[in-house]
Amino acid sequence: MRVKPSRVLLHLILATGALIMIVPFAWMLISSLKSHAEISAYPPVIWPTEWVWSNYPNAMGFAPFGTYFRNSLLIAIGHTVINLALATMAGYALARVPFRGRSLIFMAILGTMMIPTYTKIVPQYLIAKGMPFFGGNDYLGRGGFGWLDSWWVLIVPGALTPFAIFMFRQFYLSLPTELEEAARIDGMGEFAIFGRVMTPLVKPAIATVALITFENSWNNFLWPLIVTTRDDLRVIQVGLAAFQQVEKTEWAYLMAGSTLATIPMIVLFLFTQRYFVQGFATAGIK
Amino acid sequence: MPRKASLHMASQTSAVTRRTVLGAAFGLGVAAAAGCGGPAPSSSTDTGEVSGTIRLLTPIFEGAEGQKTLEGLLATFKQKHPKVTVEVDYTTYAKLNEKLTTSIAGGRPYDVMLMGVGWIPPFAAKGVLADLGESADGLTSRFNKRVVDPGVYQGKVYALPIMLDTRFGIYRKDIFAEAGLSAAPKNFDELRDMGRKLTKREGGKLVRAGVDILSNDLRQTFLPLMWANGGELFTPDGKVAFNSPASVAALQLMTDIIVTDKSEDFGYTQPGAATGIPLVQGRAAMMVGHNNVWLEIEKNAPDLVKDGKIGFFPIANTRAAMFQGGTLGTVAAKSQHPAAAKALVQFLADSDAALAACKQRGNVPALKALESSEYVKANPSVQFAMGNLDSAFSEGGVPAWLEIRGDFKAAIESALLGKKSPQQALDELAAKATQVMARS
Repeated sequence: MRVKPSRVLLHLILATGALIMIVPFAWMLISSLKSHAEISAYPPVIWPTEWVWSNYPNAMGFAPFGTYFRNSLLIAIGHTVINLALATMAGYALARVPFRGRSLIFMAILGTMMIPTYTKIVPQYLIAKGMPFFGGNDYLGRGGFGWLDSWWVLIVPGALTPFAIFMFRQFYLSLPTELEEAARIDGMGEFAIFGRVMTPLVKPAIATVALITFENSWNNFLWPLIVTTRDDLRVIQVGLAAFQQVEKTEWAYLMAGSTLATIPMIVLFLFTQRYFVQGFATAGIK
Repeated sequence: MPRKASLHMASQTSAVTRRTVLGAAFGLGVAAAAGCGGPAPSSSTDTGEVSGTIRLLTPIFEGAEGQKTLEGLLATFKQKHPKVTVEVDYTTYAKLNEKLTTSIAGGRPYDVMLMGVGWIPPFAAKGVLADLGESADGLTSRFNKRVVDPGVYQGKVYALPIMLDTRFGIYRKDIFAEAGLSAAPKNFDELRDMGRKLTKREGGKLVRAGVDILSNDLRQTFLPLMWANGGELFTPDGKVAFNSPASVAALQLMTDIIVTDKSEDFGYTQPGAATGIPLVQGRAAMMVGHNNVWLEIEKNAPDLVKDGKIGFFPIANTRAAMFQGGTLGTVAAKSQHPAAAKALVQFLADSDAALAACKQRGNVPALKALESSEYVKANPSVQFAMGNLDSAFSEGGVPAWLEIRGDFKAAIESALLGKKSPQQALDELAAKATQVMARS
């Protein structure tokens, strides 16, 4: 079979791109198995002469990483489930349920995406601290510490994202009206139409939002650091930061910890990549 | 920060910018929330015994080993003050400002906050810190005056020093001897001359820097040079002074080393480079470096230690200078248990805790008494630092310092890359700093 030169060129470009993308990961993986001397050798040693597998247990012993992994996983799953449940409903309402002010609400939701995260930290902190009836607070949110240092503050703020609402709205808009009308004629209620007819058709959006939400949550660092003071509520990214001190960085441990922290994301992407690509490819149809 | 390697690199490069934005964003919140500060802590309760549950925020004692050390120390503290419980929140210096400012702006300050040199005026000026009620002169019996000064603001003592970190000249005696040099440079001219002489290139490629000014943080390299040349960061009345002729000459020296003498190439190394410290590897003959470079030498090139091939020197021109950073203990003005908090600060600044903190990081004890400790005797780098504290200078001094300091790197880099003259770079930085100071 004759292979077209244009096809060869295409594969060459794609292979180069793939190589460029994979080199940092490969470097991280290899560095995680180097000795301290080799990791700081000049010129850099690409292939270790001695494979130091003990970097992994040593890195895990540097801090309670088992707890950090568990916390990150619970928070990421919590965020993903809440975001999928609420954003699908919000996106569906904005796309398929006519009501006054719908466009204005949608614009306002989009507008919130433009507020820099850093400017929201202090207000969010104050809201969490002033949560009524939690953490010793009275009904006006006074006297205690509200949600601070609790699972609430790690899971609730940021669980629903405007990006997810936007994605779902776009997908629901792309579905034919006939489906919805046929279901209505058959006597289905609005929630059943949403849940049993329309939502199963937006699987690519569900996969995309799930992956992005999980990834953002897994990589979140600053918010969990600021709102928690207890080690048993800390997350994986906060744990990894301990390898970087002002005076020195424990590169081998940092690379070992980073490798382990990356694995869940890779596994998740492998399972959802087909839908993920499809989701982005069709998000802007309407 | 994202942990995937590629994202990790990206986040590191943007860290300063984000920190600056966050610092500025938090400024108003902190000022508003802090009000005019609170009462100074009393030394004890009516019964003479301190009590209460206090919260400690610490950027040191990180990792399992550090936590174990601090837990041991706090167990001793508990024995002394059985009615005091300490809840510890561990963080790193990289995110200390965010933790501090959010907690303060959120009305939930830590009772005891460990922070760096240069951080006291910004927080004391906003009324966040309690006056410890100590006499600065009285403290000089236990600490060097240069060590006490960073904890003093407008005549009041707001912080006690726990440990120091210093930057000074480090050189390879073996490389100097090969080049026929027997002593470290005593002034800028000698520094340049020796740098040129010790630089080695093969086929145009730099294989040994005569003088390495890039392994250390650029601001913390520039400042000791500036002080050594008689310059100051600010005037006594708090005006910008780091674009004076003496300061410009210090940046000119750095520029000459890179651009004119080519004693080091820009990009040859960088602070915290994974490829190690050039001086340790013989890829630099001398450097402006941190005292804990010694630990790296002990670990990766123990023969250099055994054979006495490492020497130290203060940066000198019109006067000798050494950069002095460090960690200080403070008490929140709004602490509900000021006496207990103060007791903890005093405990952490005392010999046992201070020594444990220094050992963990290879740093310099602040207490004079520890100069004779086994730890100091076994570490020539720390010994040198303690022996030269009379030449130590600290950064900061004005309330806006935390907003200003991040801009030094870009200004210095622009001069080293030849994009701006040293005068132009420092003038622009000074104008920006003046604006920030006026605003705050």
